[in-house]
Amino acid sequence: MPGAEQAPPLARVYYRGDGSASALTRSFANAPEMMETLMPFLGQIMDESSIDLATKELVIMRVSQLNGCVYCLAAHRPVAIEAGVPDDQLAAICDVGELDALPPRERAIVAWVDQVTCDAGGVTDRLVAATLDHVRDHQLIELTVLAGTITMLNQYCTAFQIPRPGVDL
Amino acid sequence: MTGLRETVATGIADGRMGERLWLYATYHCNLACSYCLTESSPQIADRRALDRQSMLDAVYRARDLGLTCVGITGGETFMLPWMPDALVEIGRIMPTIVLTNATLFTDRMLKRLEPLAGSDVALQISLDSDEPERNDEWRGPDNFTKVLDAIPKLVARGIRVRIATTVEHQTEEELARLCTLHRSLGISDDDHIVRSVVRRGRAALQGMGAELGPDDVLPELTVTAEGAFLHPFAPTVRNGRTDIDLLVSRQTRPLDRAMARFLQITAAMPIGADVVRNIR
Repeated sequence: MPGAEQAPPLARVYYRGDGSASALTRSFANAPEMMETLMPFLGQIMDESSIDLATKELVIMRVSQLNGCVYCLAAHRPVAIEAGVPDDQLAAICDVGELDALPPRERAIVAWVDQVTCDAGGVTDRLVAATLDHVRDHQLIELTVLAGTITMLNQYCTAFQIPRPGVDL
Repeated sequence: MTGLRETVATGIADGRMGERLWLYATYHCNLACSYCLTESSPQIADRRALDRQSMLDAVYRARDLGLTCVGITGGETFMLPWMPDALVEIGRIMPTIVLTNATLFTDRMLKRLEPLAGSDVALQISLDSDEPERNDEWRGPDNFTKVLDAIPKLVARGIRVRIATTVEHQTEEELARLCTLHRSLGISDDDHIVRSVVRRGRAALQGMGAELGPDDVLPELTVTAEGAFLHPFAPTVRNGRTDIDLLVSRQTRPLDRAMARFLQITAAMPIGADVVRNIR
């Protein structure tokens, strides 16, 4: 697997201490100046903020499921478990369980990201209000940017057939 | 820009970077040398050529940023039909060295090169042995004959010629005979460059050349159609794919962006021994 020594100098900071990196990071390294902006952006969007990590991973998994991104689903499943997303919730958002089984807050968030991801033009005032019963305004903004960002990553990984973790390029 | 120019001046003064801007004019070539860094050949699928205006813009900007000279390489630079005219203009901006295999210098081409007489443009011609068979083994059929035909014609026209010898298997005696040959052609020892094959590109696939350490080559901003690289040995090609381990930036216009990232990288590098400048 190509290591940091084969990456552009300005991209190596995004490699792990042992010189390895995910297939996605190695792909991004082909455009190192883009990484200067993209990687901090992704960190800000995906790391814990005013929204807890489990909620963010729930959204990441749900959007990736809707977009059918093999790479992101495989890469984020262990992260979601580590963040505390329960197995039954993971099963529900990955279409092997019932969405109605989700707690009300998670059910509302999933309904929001489903609408944004599948038909953003179909968002209604009623849906906004229903979601804001569970999250604050700024959190809804964060969740929406997160969902859009994950769709972008899903499209990237799917278009370039980025191999899922454990499968070398 | 003032800040960038000052940082360039400091980098040059500290020995962290060279004063030359390198331009990879094209990866296309009429030859397919055994040690080529860029896998250039007549059959190359993606020629990755810079256009004339991009080269001129880069040279003007490099001068404004404090670089003092230009190197143009490839591929074979004279595969680009506009190259002689562009060289006249580039040579007026900064002293320029153009690397060429000198096998395309027909009478018509020589006529087009005549405005370079007495200019600050030097043609650096590859010649690897005084023995035609040895030279042509590495560089292609009839290369030796064509080079020895071209050099006197260029010299007679007042065009400065340098000779570059890439060393891999040559003996000391062979190199000494080659020096006798270039002197007989009117090329001084100062204008004879001898450098090792570098183990990148086609040379790496052939098991030829010396490995490059991180500080073996003085960084010199090198612009190609695929981005800016750390030095002229960096934008090498292996199995049709360009190596990115020494890629500085995909963005080359404006040159300031690439230069800023180049300076960011060189600031973190040890100051090297500058053992192999002006290679290729």
